[in-house]
Amino acid sequence: MTEIVTIQGLQKKFGKFQALRDVSFTVNAGEVVGFIGPNGAGKSTAIRILLGIMKRDAGQAQIFGKDVWKDSLEIHKRISYVPGDVTLWGNLTGGEIIDLFLKLHGGGNKKKRDYLIKRFELDPKKKAKGYSKGNRQKVGLIAALSADSDLYIFDEPTSGLDPLMEAIFQEEVEKIKETGKSILLSSHILSEVERLADKVAIIRQGEIVESGSLDDLRHLTRSAITLVTEGDVAEMTNVNGVFDFEQKEDQATFSADNKHLDEILMAASKLGVKKFESVPPTLEDLFMRHYES
Amino acid sequence: MRENFAQWETLFLLNLKRDWKKIIVWILGFGLFSAAFVPAFKEIAKGNGLLGMFETLQNPAMIAMVGPTPVGTAVDYTLGAMYAHEMLLFCGLFSMVIAVLHVVGHTRKEEDLGLTELVRSFQIGRQANSFAAIMQIVFINLLLSLFISVVMISFDAETISVEGAFLFGASVGIAGIIGAAIALVMVQIMPASSSATGSTLGIIGLLYIIRAGTDVSNVDLSMLNPLGWTYLTYPFTENNWIALVFALIFSLIAVVVAFSLERGRDMGAGYLPSREGRESAANSLLSVHGLFIKLNRGTIISWLIAFIVMGAAYGSIYGDMQTFLESNEIMKQMFAQADVSIEESFTSTIMMVMIALVSILPIAIVNKLFAQENRAYLSQIFATKVTRSRLYWTSIGLAIITGAAGILIAAGSLGGTAVSAMGGRSTMEIADFLGSGFNFLPSLLFFIGLASLALGWSPKSGKVVYVYLAYSFLLNYFGGIVDLPEWFSKTAIQSWIPRLPLEDFDASIFITITLMSIALIIIGHFGYNRRDMIEGA
Repeated sequence: MTEIVTIQGLQKKFGKFQALRDVSFTVNAGEVVGFIGPNGAGKSTAIRILLGIMKRDAGQAQIFGKDVWKDSLEIHKRISYVPGDVTLWGNLTGGEIIDLFLKLHGGGNKKKRDYLIKRFELDPKKKAKGYSKGNRQKVGLIAALSADSDLYIFDEPTSGLDPLMEAIFQEEVEKIKETGKSILLSSHILSEVERLADKVAIIRQGEIVESGSLDDLRHLTRSAITLVTEGDVAEMTNVNGVFDFEQKEDQATFSADNKHLDEILMAASKLGVKKFESVPPTLEDLFMRHYES
Repeated sequence: MRENFAQWETLFLLNLKRDWKKIIVWILGFGLFSAAFVPAFKEIAKGNGLLGMFETLQNPAMIAMVGPTPVGTAVDYTLGAMYAHEMLLFCGLFSMVIAVLHVVGHTRKEEDLGLTELVRSFQIGRQANSFAAIMQIVFINLLLSLFISVVMISFDAETISVEGAFLFGASVGIAGIIGAAIALVMVQIMPASSSATGSTLGIIGLLYIIRAGTDVSNVDLSMLNPLGWTYLTYPFTENNWIALVFALIFSLIAVVVAFSLERGRDMGAGYLPSREGRESAANSLLSVHGLFIKLNRGTIISWLIAFIVMGAAYGSIYGDMQTFLESNEIMKQMFAQADVSIEESFTSTIMMVMIALVSILPIAIVNKLFAQENRAYLSQIFATKVTRSRLYWTSIGLAIITGAAGILIAAGSLGGTAVSAMGGRSTMEIADFLGSGFNFLPSLLFFIGLASLALGWSPKSGKVVYVYLAYSFLLNYFGGIVDLPEWFSKTAIQSWIPRLPLEDFDASIFITITLMSIALIIIGHFGYNRRDMIEGA
């Protein structure tokens, strides 16, 4: 697989504050990578370094095999970017700004632009100073999505959008994904990441604390188990890999370490299983675990 | 090179498209202001006008304000010489200020807003935006210079030579470029756009005051001053083009420095570190007036310091006045006949100038309330039990107090320096200066009243108050030089107020204007309490 984005040991300091300590991850061709982490963890800084807007202090960062600082213009020909807070020139209209962005990009698709303006229900004749937050965001999204790029970088792209528009965004991203383009998606809307992403990288205090495919990550964590047995279900508390055990009459709920699933099942079957439900962890569970610890 | 400046021309064209209305107003409005007073000056020049003006402007006080002339005798003082003498310094200064505001608005301001981030994600060079901005300034000032020259030539006055007209235009244009170059350096150093604007304007103000001193004491020293390279070109007399060469070299170096500084910093960052703030609010912050004082503190302190410097600079001239009078027979007779001292005469003029400048601060404080409202900073405060009246009166009160403090400091600094500069020969006391200053208090209140009225009824027009201030300042300023019709000069509020200590205090005018101002403030309050709050417009 071709690596589209390669980051290795990235570091960045702002004065005394170490914003990025050690950030490494990759985005392969045709892959959607979710980039998640709490506020202030360094997501936007990492993205700005990728865009060549900020200069890294140490480490490697490449897109399409080119250095993000030295060859930023070459790279920018084939990428599109939407920041979380799109600011626009107040006295130009949305339509004008989209056209301008497409021209600056170089590879715009007029038909797709018109189609997306309709889909996102944007009034392109309105001056940008009259747009609400959500509408400004739409301008950025339409310009990015109608440009023909190989890598799309979204930094909390749907902030301020209503749920309907959010769904449209997700559909459009899926279409792009199907054509084999790569996407780096930073978002707090975990359901969005879960739906779109093949891989996630979780960043915390400037370090990548977890990365891999969602399946892999799930494997490392715990499933939520609901269990009813004929024997005394309380005995399950002593089994390896059982956490947060709670009992309500004869029904127990606990989270089970996936590594110890076998032991847990054996123990349960000795008690005579009447009911067994297992829910795989959501991204949110994963996320919370990393945030809280 | 490509990484840094790619596609600057696209941004350049985009900026022209965005700004075309502003550029037209800039070139036509300001160009006419610079060039079109030639007929008015022809009127002044009639009869003994040139002679009288020549003598008047030999006064060190006048030199401190408008600059020197290279002409040695009144015979050589032509219309062209007078026009350049009286107009060029001001036009240059004005040109600088406009260019500074424009450059910061197109560079650092857009960075602060987040526009730059999006633009940079395209195939745009890292410094293309700064380069486009500076090229736009060069382009606009080139057009402006040409326009000014052509307008001046079109009057077909004998002593307004073609060479001189082109030099005059070029001097105004180069002033804009110098201002833009200084601004571009400060943009890199300062942590935000507002401090970049403030520090650049501060530097320009300082250059103006320094040149006031060197013009009076030793003009050669003014040639070391970037501001000097504009008006010391002496169009229509010496046609000193070499000053423009200095200006160009200086601007080029400043721009190169700015670009290398920009290469070394991250987007949104400056070279001056931003200090770490407090973890919790001090008690002094926890009230509406505490908050407003804190919000305005930086502005107030820097202005008050500027007033001290300004007063001291003008005050130091008093020492030279008697020496000047000894050397000039005609002036000596003029003052002897009028039965006033040259110091008193100067005080009455310079005080008008200073209090007009002091008036900027309270207007800015009143206008700030709307700026805060418009950026939605106040929306969370509106939702509390704090009333609109509270916000309004706190702002107005703060404006009045700082305005009065400004008069005290400016007049006190002028008086203190003047009295000590005159030494034992002093004919005036500090109380005379304070009296002369506070005599203008009603005009300051009137400007606060106008700003309040705008705040209450038409907040977007708050900036018009500055325009009126500039207008009435210029009327008074040139009123001393040009004979204006009575009704025309009375459209400026300061024209109603007698000039102390030259004239006598008029209590009825003092009280009338004060009451009118209070009425304006109350009407403004009425509007502010009932109008819609405007957020994000």
